Amino acid sequence: MAVVDTVPAPVRRRPAAPGPLRRLLHDRVGAAALAVVLLFLLLALAAPLVAALYGKNPVEHYGQNLPGLLSDGGLPMAPNGGISGEFWFGLEPGLGRDVLTQLLYGIRTSLLIAFAAAVVTTALGVLAGVAVGYLGGLADRAFGFLANVLLAFPTLLLLLALSPVVQSRLVDPGAAEPEWMQFLVLVLVFSAFGWIPLALSLRATVRSLRERDFVQSARAQGASRFHIVVHELLPNVRSQLLVHATMAVPTFVASEAALSFLGVGVTEPVPDWGRMIARGSEVFQADPTYMVFPGVALLVFVLAFNLLGDAVRDALDPRTGGR
Amino acid sequence: MLSFALRRALQALAVLAAVSAAAFALFYAAPADPARAACGPRCDSGQVAAVRQSMGLDQPLLAQYADYLGGILAGRDIGDVDGSVIHCDAPCLGYSYRLHQPVTEALTDHLPVTLSLTAGALAVLLVLGPGTGFLAALRHGRRTDRLLSGFTLVGASVQIYFLGYVAQWALVYSTGLLPLPGYTPPAEDPAAWAGGMLLPWLVLGFVNSAVFARLSRSQLLETMNEEYVRTARGKGLGRLRAHLKYTARGAAGPLVQLLGLEAGALLGGAVITETVFGLNGVGRFAAEAVEGQDLPAVVGAVLLAACFVVLFVALADLAVAWLDPRVRLS
Repeated sequence: MAVVDTVPAPVRRRPAAPGPLRRLLHDRVGAAALAVVLLFLLLALAAPLVAALYGKNPVEHYGQNLPGLLSDGGLPMAPNGGISGEFWFGLEPGLGRDVLTQLLYGIRTSLLIAFAAAVVTTALGVLAGVAVGYLGGLADRAFGFLANVLLAFPTLLLLLALSPVVQSRLVDPGAAEPEWMQFLVLVLVFSAFGWIPLALSLRATVRSLRERDFVQSARAQGASRFHIVVHELLPNVRSQLLVHATMAVPTFVASEAALSFLGVGVTEPVPDWGRMIARGSEVFQADPTYMVFPGVALLVFVLAFNLLGDAVRDALDPRTGGR
Repeated sequence: MLSFALRRALQALAVLAAVSAAAFALFYAAPADPARAACGPRCDSGQVAAVRQSMGLDQPLLAQYADYLGGILAGRDIGDVDGSVIHCDAPCLGYSYRLHQPVTEALTDHLPVTLSLTAGALAVLLVLGPGTGFLAALRHGRRTDRLLSGFTLVGASVQIYFLGYVAQWALVYSTGLLPLPGYTPPAEDPAAWAGGMLLPWLVLGFVNSAVFARLSRSQLLETMNEEYVRTARGKGLGRLRAHLKYTARGAAGPLVQLLGLEAGALLGGAVITETVFGLNGVGRFAAEAVEGQDLPAVVGAVLLAACFVVLFVALADLAVAWLDPRVRLS
């Protein structure tokens, strides 16, 4: 009476392949970068709320209106750029505006322009890259030449040269330029050339995808070009797009700040980090604190976005998985 | 090799021709009122009319382009706002009505500063970039690699218009370790020249080296597993020697190409660096032209920069073909 006790074989369950998002969150650096980026986004969205709770706004000249804050030379009286319980990050030398709210609203300026430019350049890059890569032949050669020509122009100089030209088209001479127009000019200038790198790399990818079996078989079954592009090619370049868009945002944030630093970006009274740094550089020896806030904020922001871009790439690339 | 060089040179010439057309478009065709954009805000309507006459804006676009190209190739006469006629010599990139000077002349005045800045920054970059990349690749996955990679990522994220001031404050004003940045012609006083350029060289070289470090690390990692490197190692060549002799050469291609692009771009003017350190180079000249609404000067600077890029990218391609026979045969 041997009872054979059969132990049910344990159900062998293969661990589900972790999705990209989970892999991103498991990457400690990636998760931290994502958290910082989200924090900046939240601060930008909630800027009016934070400003109301804190009780200051970015436009009022506190230092000039209230006595005892700025010296006759326009420098904050309190040490470290006028940092106090009242003004947490100090006061702007000269105009005496509140640094914290300027910084907060500055995130909005940066992000609005950078996101808009990233969306436009990604859309243009996909259109051009996929079309040219799929069509090949003459279109491909023409595009290669065009890219060579456009890439010969150094970015910053070209942005410098282009903004007054675009401006002259959009704004009547002598007329005051509305705020949204400045944003539009910057986005247009960034978009004019920003799509080329993405288009170039997509062209190469699509060119090799085009010869793969699944595309060939779709074509043999009589699928239309539109179907092949939308249903066969685009899903395969999705991760490349995501990585590009993530990396494009910090680039545009830095470019926008650079243009404003040089005095051709966003003008007063719209708060802007690049212009804050430019103002800070004028009084740097007397009041270094004022420059440190926008400088460090910009560094942390761009670094977080770059780290996030790296992490996104690793999370989407199965070869580097489980690193 | 010769046929490759010829093909590459012809291609560069074609790109240059297209670049000149693009610059012309930026100058004559794109602005709402080219004469107003060239003359700037201080010109009255009479002066703008004189500029319109002198630029030949009443003629068809094609004739204007022919004049513009003729100016670049052979020079031409240009009328200033006060009615005087100035001869603009051979590579004539236009006439600055703000400075009352041909743009080419003004650019040549500022070129030595930019040249000095570029040369030193490239030297710093070449030591720092591939150096850290090589070290990181050799210690792949270890702590050294992670530290160096983090360091280069910070370098890639920091902005010169912040780092420059901080470094100047820390190294010049607070401690006096380095002399105040500034340009002295090297023929006048070589020591003062090197001293004044040292900080700009270090800052510009460091910030731009990050991309090189990242690229050389990934290139080296990829090449390390190539058959020919493994063969050399299998035959008993030491690790370091194999990597220096075979891996480095195989991985150099994209680095040389990036270097060409970088050298060309820097020669066109490092606007930000020059602004931060108060160096009056080509980049500063361009930024001031933008402020003064002097379109001819702006477009001239852009065109010069584009020429440098085309030239150095072509040179880099030749160097790569010389290094790697697979390139010139394909």
